[in-house]
Amino acid sequence: MTLKGKSATIRTLELATCVVMLAALYAIFIYAPIEKTMGLVQKIFYIHVPSAFLAFFAFFITFVGSILYLYKRENKWDIMAFCSAEIGVIFCSIVLITGPIWAKPIWNVWWTWDPRLTTTLILWFIYAAYLILRGAAGENRRSNFSAVFGIIGFVNVPITFLAVRLWRTIHPVIITPKGINISDPMKLTLILTLMAFCLLFFTLLVSRIRLEKMRLDGEEIRALSEDEKTERNN
Amino acid sequence: MGNAPYLFAAFGVTWVIIFFYILSISRRQKTLESQINKIRDALERNKETGKRDE
Repeated sequence: MTLKGKSATIRTLELATCVVMLAALYAIFIYAPIEKTMGLVQKIFYIHVPSAFLAFFAFFITFVGSILYLYKRENKWDIMAFCSAEIGVIFCSIVLITGPIWAKPIWNVWWTWDPRLTTTLILWFIYAAYLILRGAAGENRRSNFSAVFGIIGFVNVPITFLAVRLWRTIHPVIITPKGINISDPMKLTLILTLMAFCLLFFTLLVSRIRLEKMRLDGEEIRALSEDEKTERNN
Repeated sequence: MGNAPYLFAAFGVTWVIIFFYILSISRRQKTLESQINKIRDALERNKETGKRDE
């Protein structure tokens, strides 16, 4: 695909994200009813849940990308895994910030060492470490090292997701085997917000992958020009 | 309505994080684009000089 073609893809994604995001904001603030017990603060749920879902999804892409890189040895999988991990950390940070903002008026504490909260914090540390260590690793070992880390790190994702079922927890359980435990307008708003966040995620992922490829191209061109200079000097 | 500031704080923080991430991507992209263009120009200039010398 050409650079122009990629820009068109990103522009289409950006436009779709803006439109659906505006519809989602309308649904959150105007359409969705105010919850009787919690009041307005319950609406934090509409950004907290999609962010958590996308953090898990991003780490899943990192997991798949890492496996494919180790199997096929193609750089594109390594780039995809790395970019997805970076965006996953962004969404996981949003989860860890919006959660305590909701908890303070509802639980009367900013933070408690609840299994769901603790495993989410560990998840954030794992992928923050992935990004830091990838930056620190040598050029020749970086991709292999990241791929192994990306596979092992994913073990914590199902643990975090199932924490509310495996241990006693005070974290609300919305998604149960019987369905989503909220009223229909709330469900619709959640689905719309989830769609908006998914579009945002793919826009960010495509842009980040493009940037990473551009960085690698830049490094290649720089190496070529250095070689040419050396040849001329000889 | 008493807990409205918490709602706006949560939305505010979310949008600030996303905004700065998008800003950082676009800044890095612009820097890289200008660096690549500079190197390309330099390479083309070198090629032209080489042809003239031959």
